[in-house]
Amino acid sequence: MSELINEVKQLIIETLELEDIEPADIDDEEALFVDGLGLDSIDALELGVAIKKAYNVKIDGDSEDSKKHFYSVNSLCQFIEQNR
Amino acid sequence: MKFGIEKCVAWCGNLRTSNDWQLWAQGELTHTPDDDLPPLKQIPAMQRRRLSRFAKLSFHCMLESLGENNQDLACVFASRHGDLHKTAKLIEDVASKDDLSPTHFGLSVHNAVIGLYSIFAKNKSAMTAISAGEDSFMMAMVDAYGKLQSQNLDRILVVYTDEVVPEKYHKYVSDKEKTISVAFVLTKHDIENNIMLTFEPQDNSEQCSAEFQPLEFLRFFFSHTNNAQIHSKRYKWHVSR
Repeated sequence: MSELINEVKQLIIETLELEDIEPADIDDEEALFVDGLGLDSIDALELGVAIKKAYNVKIDGDSEDSKKHFYSVNSLCQFIEQNR
Repeated sequence: MKFGIEKCVAWCGNLRTSNDWQLWAQGELTHTPDDDLPPLKQIPAMQRRRLSRFAKLSFHCMLESLGENNQDLACVFASRHGDLHKTAKLIEDVASKDDLSPTHFGLSVHNAVIGLYSIFAKNKSAMTAISAGEDSFMMAMVDAYGKLQSQNLDRILVVYTDEVVPEKYHKYVSDKEKTISVAFVLTKHDIENNIMLTFEPQDNSEQCSAEFQPLEFLRFFFSHTNNAQIHSKRYKWHVSR
């Protein structure tokens, strides 16, 4: 799991071109969107495409569940583990 | 039409400051292409990461031209090709049935740069994005002048940006085209600072431009000449002061 966590952090940084951020700067539990890391809705779409490409996991854009899966690095990794 | 031009800022390869442009206009400095980009440290990193090369050059010229004031000016953005490197990549992804980047797709419209500027500067004034073939640069002034008159404005920001097109498209455009961004504030005519611009349909169908149109204008603007004729396939432009 910790390997996946680092991989996902690296994917977030590269996909979203977060040039000043290191994997260690992203908290596993903290919110990715709005409050924590400060990502926005376009980032969510971009990340959805990148995760689909990397892990062949499709995330339904409209469902309430997606919001939970996208909350933090941890929740995203759990979702990937369960679905790939 | 008569108007003034203030704070003209242009970036084209090694030519970046008014001094560079004056030396170039006098033939003392030659243009060399160069991949440097303005650092734009005043833009928060979370906004800056979405700016392409095309957008960064536009932002630099717009923000330098506006300076501290004038944050609520109306704007005219012009480009012949738009952010074609981005668009071409999207088209290639469609052709190869790859997923498109939502960010790049969202920012591939012709008014994307001026929209990003509006968000950054919190400027809610009227903004238009135009394209007029090889006359895109000169037509930006015509459009801006029209808005100045019809909306009774004192000043309006004009920004023009184009890049050398991706290799696949080279055969369709003149090899005189260069990567350039130019921004200035177009103002009402006054004695100190005035430019007169007229244009008429081209009568010589063989006529083609001597140089890339924005550079022809900048050569006139930064030199001491009082008159210049700028030809394109469609129009004869005449500028004087």
